[in-house]
Amino acid sequence: MTGNDSFGEKWSEVEVAKAALLDAARSAAITRQHKRGKKTARERLALLFDEGRFDEQGGLVSPPNGDRADAPADGVITGIGRIDGRFVAVAAQDFSVYGGSVGAYGGAKIQRLMDQCLAQGIPLVLLLDGGGHRIQGMQDSWHFARTGTFFADMARLTGWVPIVAAVMGDGFAAPTNFAAFADLVIMVRGIATMGLTGPALVKAATGETIGKEELGGADVQVDQNGLAHLGAANEEEALAAIRRYLSYLPSNARAAPTEGTRDDPRDRSCDMLVDVVPADTRKPYDVRKVIREIADRDSVFEIQPSWGASAVTAFARMDGRAVGFIANQPMRLGGMLTAPACEKIARFIAICDAFGLPLLYLIDIPGFAIGPSAEKAMLGRRSGKMIAELAHATVPRLSLVLRKGYGGGYVAMCGGRGFMPDAALAWPTAEICPMSIEGSVDVAYRKDYEAAPEPATRRQEIIDGMRAMISSLRAAGGLGVDNIIHPADTRRVFNDVLSRAVGRRQLPMPPKFRAIAPI
Amino acid sequence: MAGTIISIEGQVGEVVDAEETIAIMESMKMEMSIVAPAAGTISEILVAEGDAVVENQPLVRII
Repeated sequence: MTGNDSFGEKWSEVEVAKAALLDAARSAAITRQHKRGKKTARERLALLFDEGRFDEQGGLVSPPNGDRADAPADGVITGIGRIDGRFVAVAAQDFSVYGGSVGAYGGAKIQRLMDQCLAQGIPLVLLLDGGGHRIQGMQDSWHFARTGTFFADMARLTGWVPIVAAVMGDGFAAPTNFAAFADLVIMVRGIATMGLTGPALVKAATGETIGKEELGGADVQVDQNGLAHLGAANEEEALAAIRRYLSYLPSNARAAPTEGTRDDPRDRSCDMLVDVVPADTRKPYDVRKVIREIADRDSVFEIQPSWGASAVTAFARMDGRAVGFIANQPMRLGGMLTAPACEKIARFIAICDAFGLPLLYLIDIPGFAIGPSAEKAMLGRRSGKMIAELAHATVPRLSLVLRKGYGGGYVAMCGGRGFMPDAALAWPTAEICPMSIEGSVDVAYRKDYEAAPEPATRRQEIIDGMRAMISSLRAAGGLGVDNIIHPADTRRVFNDVLSRAVGRRQLPMPPKFRAIAPI
Repeated sequence: MAGTIISIEGQVGEVVDAEETIAIMESMKMEMSIVAPAAGTISEILVAEGDAVVENQPLVRII
């Protein structure tokens, strides 16, 4: 009995120490966090994980004197729980402890978590809300000079396990450095900020006065700069987006793909696709409708909808299998490939390729963007990046030309044979050529039509002659496409191609060590 | 990017949602929807149909 008493006392001592970490024991700090319009780190974790449960680790860290009250859990809560039944590791900064800054034990806890993710192949979620290296007591070369291996480890983690960062408060400096290694970065609108230095440091260093929202809020970093990928209206939406993102991906690059429900008929006829593309090639339409119709019902999850909007990148499911759609969006800038659109596609390819998701290209492209703004945005580099990512991808891919397949953009969108698609398809409305017709006539035939008695008539004549040469039938005639399919048949054909495609292909690479990113 | 405004879809006083088309521009032989960057009420229309416009030029004012 004595032994049991002794156990009971010891356990209750542990329970007291654990209870002191919880929100209920820290009401003053928690009230302050709520007044800032934010949930606490533990409230966030309760919403993130299945049944709100997770196994915390390192929660009981303390300085050698055993006093945990000063910095409960040392300002970062780490642990492993389940999302949709699968293990996911999380590090959540606790803003109520030294502004979420990372102390000596907090840093060690994050390191421990990353080691587990690396060794066990578990996805990593970062809930960011606070500072970087803790200044209080740690502005000291004894602590700092050695640094940790955390950035090297984050780099090693990318492409091995899915990594998601949700910024739910201040995210200037270190949180942004960490988020840089996430596949997907979500910001809560009105609360989250990102950037390498916040307004206070900017003011101190350069004298410039700027508000934090204006410097690094979601409107700037998600919608204008594209630094983060999704802007969430509130924390619940951000946490739901994390769960949704992970649902499309295996736990690591070598794990089996996830299976969705297969309640949408595999060969369902897509009747609405028959007249979705306007006959007039100048008219826009919303390509998201096309994706929604082809994919399994309610399975489409668009990434970066507000940035680079002339292209759409979206996860979806086809007969339960996770895939990545990459589409030109005629509704925005006619579907031109701008620098942001190229950058967005490049990164999306990398994620799909890392985790084995086939790439489904829907092509309706008038060309790459033109003019000084395109050059200033380094379209030459960004377009190269998009092409290079596709060239290195090993997952199945197919292309479907809906309407325009013009110029280098057609090639970059996996048109033709360049990137060996598992299927190269076209709708009857496709027109494929190296340059827009009017443009090419003005460049190559100006002298011809200007010398004619009626230049406008002659110009139109040349245009009509050329237009007759760019049809889907001629593309199929030259075996540029495998087949011209009826739009209503698109879902069935895509599913058949995906069923046949080999999971990973071996790229014919020379014996080099690595590729170098485009200029 | 630069282009020509071929139609204006909104009117002064009209309430628009974010992402709602407020004008159509033609450029590169394509019609492009210009959408409202935020929800609000159109207080002023600054261009007319047929006007040539350039990047970053205000087209309508939404308050």
